[in-house]
Amino acid sequence: MTEPTDFELLELATPYALHAVSEAERVAIERQLAVAPPSVAEAFRDEVRAVCETMTAVSAATAAEPPSRLRAAVLAAVQPSVARRSRWRTALLAAAAAIVVGLAAFGAGIALRPAPKPTMAEQIMAATDVRTVSGQLSGGTATVVFSRNMNAGVLVMNNVPPPTQGTVYQMWLIGDNGPTSAGTMNTAAVAPSTTDLLTNLRNSSALAFTIEPGTGSPQPTGKILAKLPLS
Amino acid sequence: MTTVPAERLGYRSMTGPWHSNDLDALLRRVAQRDADAFATFYDHTRTRVYGLVARVLRDFGYSEETTQEVYLEVWRTAGAFDSAKGSALSWLMTMAHRRAIDRVRAEQAATQRESRYGATAVEPSGDVVVESVLATDERRRVAECLDGLTDIQRQCIEMAYYGGFTYAEVSQRLSANLSTIKSRMRDALRGLRHCLGVP
Repeated sequence: MTEPTDFELLELATPYALHAVSEAERVAIERQLAVAPPSVAEAFRDEVRAVCETMTAVSAATAAEPPSRLRAAVLAAVQPSVARRSRWRTALLAAAAAIVVGLAAFGAGIALRPAPKPTMAEQIMAATDVRTVSGQLSGGTATVVFSRNMNAGVLVMNNVPPPTQGTVYQMWLIGDNGPTSAGTMNTAAVAPSTTDLLTNLRNSSALAFTIEPGTGSPQPTGKILAKLPLS
Repeated sequence: MTTVPAERLGYRSMTGPWHSNDLDALLRRVAQRDADAFATFYDHTRTRVYGLVARVLRDFGYSEETTQEVYLEVWRTAGAFDSAKGSALSWLMTMAHRRAIDRVRAEQAATQRESRYGATAVEPSGDVVVESVLATDERRRVAECLDGLTDIQRQCIEMAYYGGFTYAEVSQRLSANLSTIKSRMRDALRGLRHCLGVP
């Protein structure tokens, strides 16, 4: 007596393709598809394909030009960092370079060996809960690609002018107990496109930026230039 | 069911001024970590992705973030694209729609979406839609096809596809039973597919 079930399954192909089923239903449908007779599964997939192609044609009606800054932000995530004269092929690896540089600064020489495993940045990009948040920073754009599961994020800064000599940009993770320093960037570190890794996001609700004197401060003293919500 | 030749209804041009094969080829290069191909792919598809996402989310900030997430997903999953299963643009738009729907469900309770849906139902959808030079003709053709649907068919598609409601929520709101709503959705899609000449 699989017929009624198969019929009901096929009836759901259109709502499924329109993403008009609940998460629980989606899981149930996919489980049922996996054990359905091949002809039913094929009919279901054909229907889904036709609906998707049709709504793709319909998307001509909603086409709209995004802000031009979006292009820079999207491409920055995959471009090699020119400023670092990086020989890495992709920005994911460029971001990994930032990790290596960061760890080397702490004397962790082991990080200089080529990483056989996916880099932290690659793992963040591949995380199922990856999110993106962007904001204006001193006329440029700061974007954080982050994953709560990974407890880490990649910061990409585009066209952010370097801080004046003798000062640094300082990043702050804002948590329940107030701001915690998430690192600094001095004049030399800030290039037209700069990436950095943020670790230990824990339960912080936002990433904030200030300008601090010297090599940074234990607590923010400058005014908050930008605050990106990490939610 | 007879179908009008796809070329006559301009389905080819539905994917824009480039051939869909070109997009497939670009996506295969993206899968090889070709950043230039990725930039070209973005340039060819950004208005479709951003426009759909903005139509669903109705919020500039969320729309930009979600569009970025879509393209990051393109970058990391391009290798999974299989042209035997559909066009590159369809692969992309399906991904964009799913992310937009996930976001709108996460951000806005159904009641908020309902009031927003009410607002959008009485005014043209042009408030966040910037007219694209190339798209005018396609837009008109799609609008004609949407006009060809019955009111309830069109409502089902608008509430589900743009409003983020599940078919069960649509059925509640339209006081129609579930199988009726499923039928209306299926009929609406068949009508659109036929009208647009989608193979």
